[in-house]
This record gives sequence, C-alpha cells and structure tokens, in this order.
Amino acid sequence: MSVSRRSGFAVATAASLTLVLAACGSSGSGATGSAGSPVSGGTLTYAINTDADCLDPHQSPADVAGFFARPILDSLVALDPGGKILPWLAKSWTVSADGRAYTFNLRDDVTFSDGEAFDAAAVKANFDHVVNPKTQSKLAAGTIPTYTGARVIDPHTVEIDLSQPSSAFLPAVATAYLGIEAPSTLAGDPKALCGKIVGTGPFVSADGYTPQKGISYTRRNDYKWPAGTAKHQGPAYLDRLDIQVVTENSSRLGALTSGQVDAIASVPPVNVAQLKANPGFQIQTAQAPGGNYSYYPNTQSGPFADIRVRQAFRSGIDWDTIVSKLYFGVFQPAKNPLAPSTVDYDKTVEPSYAYDPAKANQLLDQAGWTGRDAQGYRTKDGVRLTLVHPFLQAYVREQRDVLADQLQAAAKQLGIEIKNQNVDYGTYLKLLATPEGHDLGDFSWQRASPDALRTLFGSANIATPQSGFGTNQARYDNPAVDKYLADALTTGDPRQQADLYAKAQQQITADAAVFPVYVFNYVVGAAKKVQGITFEPQAFPTFYDTWLAQQ
Amino acid sequence: MTTVAPVRVATARRAGSTARAIGRRVLTSVLVLWGAVTLAFLALHLIPGNTVDAVAGGTTQVTPQLRAQITAEYSLDRPLVVQYLQYLGKLVRGDLGDSYALRMPVAKAIGQQLGSTMILLVTATVFAILVSVVIALLTAHRRRWIRGLFSGLEVTGVAVPAFWLGILLLTVFSFQLHWFPAIGSAGIAGLVLPALTLSAAPIGMLTQVLRQGLERVLDEPFVVTARSRGISEAAVRLRHVLRHAVLPVITLAGWLAGTMIGGAVVVEQVFSRQGLGRLTVNAVGHKDMPLVLGIVLIAALFYVLVNIAIDVAYRLIDPRLRSEDTTR
Repeated sequence: MSVSRRSGFAVATAASLTLVLAACGSSGSGATGSAGSPVSGGTLTYAINTDADCLDPHQSPADVAGFFARPILDSLVALDPGGKILPWLAKSWTVSADGRAYTFNLRDDVTFSDGEAFDAAAVKANFDHVVNPKTQSKLAAGTIPTYTGARVIDPHTVEIDLSQPSSAFLPAVATAYLGIEAPSTLAGDPKALCGKIVGTGPFVSADGYTPQKGISYTRRNDYKWPAGTAKHQGPAYLDRLDIQVVTENSSRLGALTSGQVDAIASVPPVNVAQLKANPGFQIQTAQAPGGNYSYYPNTQSGPFADIRVRQAFRSGIDWDTIVSKLYFGVFQPAKNPLAPSTVDYDKTVEPSYAYDPAKANQLLDQAGWTGRDAQGYRTKDGVRLTLVHPFLQAYVREQRDVLADQLQAAAKQLGIEIKNQNVDYGTYLKLLATPEGHDLGDFSWQRASPDALRTLFGSANIATPQSGFGTNQARYDNPAVDKYLADALTTGDPRQQADLYAKAQQQITADAAVFPVYVFNYVVGAAKKVQGITFEPQAFPTFYDTWLAQQ
Repeated sequence: MTTVAPVRVATARRAGSTARAIGRRVLTSVLVLWGAVTLAFLALHLIPGNTVDAVAGGTTQVTPQLRAQITAEYSLDRPLVVQYLQYLGKLVRGDLGDSYALRMPVAKAIGQQLGSTMILLVTATVFAILVSVVIALLTAHRRRWIRGLFSGLEVTGVAVPAFWLGILLLTVFSFQLHWFPAIGSAGIAGLVLPALTLSAAPIGMLTQVLRQGLERVLDEPFVVTARSRGISEAAVRLRHVLRHAVLPVITLAGWLAGTMIGGAVVVEQVFSRQGLGRLTVNAVGHKDMPLVLGIVLIAALFYVLVNIAIDVAYRLIDPRLRSEDTTR
C-alpha cells in the first residue's frame, strides 16, 4: 500500500525502555555547528508536506498531529534518544510491585498558558479525556489500552492504574499523543480542540490551526519546565514559529532554496545531494523506528501461501539496487521486519534478505512453477504465476509508483507477473480485507517501539470485512509469534524482552512474511542559519532548542 | 400626455412578468441545488467503501468499539433513504453537518477557505476579461501576422496544462527572480502568479470567441455607416462593435465559471494556497461526505448565481430582450 500518512493503528507501544534513535544527526555540507552559541529571537518558517486535519493529538488519527501539537503540549515524561525515560512535568515516579500502578510526583510550578494551574486533577482529566468515547480517539487511546483510571492522591501526586503491567506505558506517556492540555478546554465539545489547543508548552498558538494553511506559534516567555531531554533551560529561543502546509514537493523545495521558508520537511531524495552541495543549506535526517516501508505477501491464499514462492520472491529480486538507484542512499535498503533504529533490532536476520537469483529460481521450480508461457512467465498446471498488487495512486509518495514498476520488471526476470492495480480507496480496503483479494500489499508504518511487530504481524490485526484497515497485511497468523510478542509486552526484564523480540524477528524472517524495501528517514532541509533542530523518538523534528544564527 | 396611461400599464405588466420570471428563477434554482446535492449524495454512496472507514481516518486500524460508536453517532446503520432524509432535514434548517476528517462544522470549514478562493476567482476572472477584450479589440481584422501570432498564443494558453504553467511561472518568477512568493495566500503579491495561471486558458478561449464576434460585426453595414460619419476607428470598435460582439462572450461566462472552479483545484495545489479547491481534493480523498456535499452545494449555488447574472447582463446589453420579457 502506498498510504501518504505515517498514520497508523497504535497499539500499546511496547517495552521500549532502551530506544535508540540511530543515524540521527546533521550531515550538512561544510562546517555546521560553527555558528557559535544560541541566541534568542527571530521567526522560523517551516514548510511541512502533510496536513494534520485535526490539531488535537488526543483524537486525531494522523500521527503528524503530534508534530503540530508538540510546541504547545508538554508530557509527563520524556523519552531520550538513548531510550531512557526522563522527567518533564513529572519530577519523579514510582511503579507498584505488581507493575499495575504508576505514581507520578508532579512539578508544582507549572501553569497552562491560559493561567490554569497544572496539577494532579489536570493529569486525571487528560487521561480520562483520551479514553472517553466522546473523544473518538483514533490513535492516542490505542496507546494505553490497559488504562483503567487515575486517582488524585494530593494536588501534586497522581496515580495511574493499569489492568496489567505494560512496559510500553511510560514510552506512550512520553509522546505528544498523551500531551497534557488545559482541563477547562477538555470539558466542552472535543471537536473544538481540532482547531485550537491550550497546554503548558514553550509555545502558544492564539489563532490555532487552519486546514491547508498551517499554524503559527509565539513563544511563551515564562516557560521554565523543559523536558529532561532539552538542551537548554528557560523559554524557547524562537520568538515565533510558522508552520505552513506545502504538499507539492517542487514548491516546497523551491520555497526553501529561494529563501521564502527557513526549513522544509521531506526533501525529495533526488534533491538531497543538490541541497547538500549548496553552501547555504544543510540536510538533517533521522531514521524512523518501527516498521520499514515494506511489501507484504498474502500468506493465507494464492501463490504466496507457499512459503517457497515467498522465499523466492525475497531472494530473487535485487532490492538493494532498486532502492539505491531510486533514493540515492537517502533511504537505506531494509533487511529486517523492523527498522535498524528500533530497540531490540536483531542484526542476525539480515543475511536472509540477500539477493540470490539462482536460489530463487530453484525454489520456484521446487514449488512446481516449472512451465513457461509465451510471454516467458512461469506456469503451474497451465496457470500463470500472477501476483495482484492493489495500490492507491492518489496516496503515492516517495516515488513508490516508480518503485512498483521496477519491481514488476525485476519480477518478470524471475518469470513472475505482478499486476499493479490502481484502485480507489474503498475497493482497496475491500481487496485487503479478504484472503482472496490480493497477493501483495505495501505500506510503511513507524512507531518508536519494537511492539511495531505486534501491529504488523499480530494475528489480531488481520483485516476482515468488518474491521476496516488492518495493519497485518501479510495476514500472518503464527501463534508462536503472537506469544513472543505478548510476553515481550508484559515482561519487566529488558534482557528477556530483547530475547523475545529477537525470536519474533527470526521466526517472521524464517516464514518470509515480509519483503522489507527501505528504511524511512525524516529528511529536513534547512538554511544554514537554522541551528538546533532536534528529533523526537518517532523522528518528527522539534523546535524548543532551535535558534537562528546571526548572518 | 395622453400616452402616459398606456405606458404605465405596460410598465406594470412588465413588472408583473419580471416578478414571475424571478419567481420561476428562484424555484428552478432551488431545484438545481436539490438535484446537485441528491446526485452527489448518491454518487458518494455508490463509490465503494465504508463510511466508518472514512470517519475513522482511512488507513487507521481502530477498535471495534470505536467503529460501533461511529456507526451509531452518524446513523450509518440506518437505511440510505433515512440517512438522505435526515441530511435534507438538517440542510433545510441550515445545518450542513460536521466534517468527518476535520471534525468541525462544514460551514466553518468552507468559511475558512471561501474567502481565499473567491479572491482568486474574482481576480482571475477580471484579469481574463480585461486581457481578452484588449487583445481582441487590438487584433480583430488586423494584419495577418499579428492575428497569427496572437492566435498561436491563445491556442497555447488553452492547450498548456495549468499545472505545468504554474510550475513554470513559479520557477522563473519566484525561485529565480524572487519577484513573487511561491507559497501561501497572503497579500497581493501572492495572488499574481496563481491568477495568471488560472486565467491563461480562459483568456485564450475568450479572445478567440470575441475576435470572431468583432470581425463578424465589423463587416456589418452599420459599421460602414458609423465610419462614414467620420468616427475614429477606436471609437467604432469600442462604442459600436464591442457591444454587439460581447453577447456570445457572456454566454461563455457560465463555462468560464466552471473552468475557474475546476482550475482553482489545480492552482491552489501548485501554489499551496489555502482554498476550496484543496479542501475539495482532500474531502473527496477522505470520502468526507458532509464536506463534499457542502462544497457541491456551494459550487451549485455559485453556478446558479452566475447564470442569473448572465441573464441580467443580457438584458442590460441587448435592448431587444428587455421588451421580450414574456417570451423568457
């Protein structure tokens, strides 16, 4: 599938206490970082490629809502690039012996930008708001499925109760999806929050968010409670932050190179080298954790029900060459069900994804696809080896349509026919909801946790005609893997967790349930004067530490 | 003095017929709007796909509980006829409903974008009319190479896709020369390139039609008469010929309105302007039923108003139509 939004079904982000954000750093041309010490002032204009639709991350289905909301909302805790949980609005916390109660000790000097005090009641109001059916939370509520309630112990102590222990709880609390909003704003119609939210964050937005247009923020001057991950204290450096929605790639790039905006999201890979070569600009990339952009074989029905055909497809296509030629090294070829920056990534499975056409042909012969028809495609009992791949042209990004064409050509070399069917959205969901509807699916799905495996390969996430979109496009149903993933979520021991996730990756690889294509990178292009853009664990940029160098 | 009474009677009769004409107009307008909404409603339900998926945000997997709740809240379990009547009932009360994806009232969502689009449409229309009138007046019955040159430009203007033209203009005048901003909806400078892009095709079309009209009229005997009175060529063209030649152009105004609305979708996308065009693209992509229906309604209303304006313009320009009220 070629879905444009990095949105997804967020089940509990699992045990990711040791989260690594690898390959995250600046790689501009020439001397970056020689701009001296940070100075306050100025406006940063940032052009982003995707619209949020609804600003409130408590209810929006789009994970980019977390990006739009982050300058306004703080969280109870922060997750650092090394995967450690650090204090933020909560000074400290304790976990009960049974792992089902988290007691947060809150800062007492925090206020919302509308003057309300931040306290234990505010925390309770926020958690209750997220899970309230009226909120219709599409993403946030899914990150805390085990939440049962909150108790105000004293004005600055709050206890959160869970139905079962979950090592994914604190990492979920650290995301903007569970950011703390002013309680008075939560009482009314949740729909009003789609345009405007109020929080304790370093920026405020008086006018709020307008679809297609974007959002402007101004600095909050009395801000003094940054996240434990922040690089400085006190108010943000920028006076003002303007985020504009510019969906057209060439317009976004042109706006940057002609100085109309200071930084842009999602630089097209083909333009990255050109921007790096220009002394006025820099490129910053962050490898997103979670799933890669992958193709998924339908393991339940059709030719791919035979594991040998899946293995043949995996080793018979030169994925490395296709990816390197198309993305110029900006996106790396993927060789695991998970992205390398995910916690508990198992490097040992990588060799299984090597290119070996001889082995592929041998496997196809063994599977009985020995005949050849007039066009050179393999046949078995007179039937051509054809794979149906429904996709949505309207949602294509990152040249995934070109990639699909190249894949089609590469598969033909093996004697496999791929039918790329551009369908409308309703048909697409229908085709993926039954075992017989498709042979190949494709999509990318990021989340800062190896629990992404459960989202992508857990049998509970296989689509049915009643369920709508299902994230397990491989329709992969392996009770052993289900058990590894469930156990990894509830175990408190990081080493045991790593072991369970490694086993899951090995089994999924052995079953050839995924064809990883490329590792998604968030690619920010910026003028040289822009300093200190940081990335949160899910690889969205953040602006609290950002400043503009004098020129 | 003796003629006063009959004139009064005639005026009264004419006023009565005008009132009836207006009444008929309003009635047919309402019918057009109802038809547009009904067709759009049916079309949206014929597109495969489940509305619950649209509300849930497309490619998002949500819990069965949330799906059940969405179904109940939007009455999606009711028969289509009931949903349709419910929608019409709300519509009559002036309630366009809430957008699925934006989660705000449709009226507000459209209101946020309408201004920007109207400014673009009005600017582009005025620009298109001015430019085509000037070019047509200057080139009708002129030397062959002048006509040939402009005809060529006009055909190119119609043939070039707005998308490509927009990117070309952006590259030259924004990215290279820095004369105009590339993105955003703010200010007059930001309006120039989008309006130019949007009006290119209409200018080509209007100029061709207008020039043909002018050339036809320039051959009429009354032009010879006018010239024989010693009036300058400019005055002949402006005062006498243009008025006759402009009628077919006004007929084209309905087509122009359609082209403009369609073109705005592309232009707003290329120039990253906020507006109804981009809102429409997103709404259709999300299968955001209430929003699409709201936009259809606005577009239909726009057409109806433009057509009424065309009728009025006919009457103003062509005195023959004023005395033929009863036939219209």
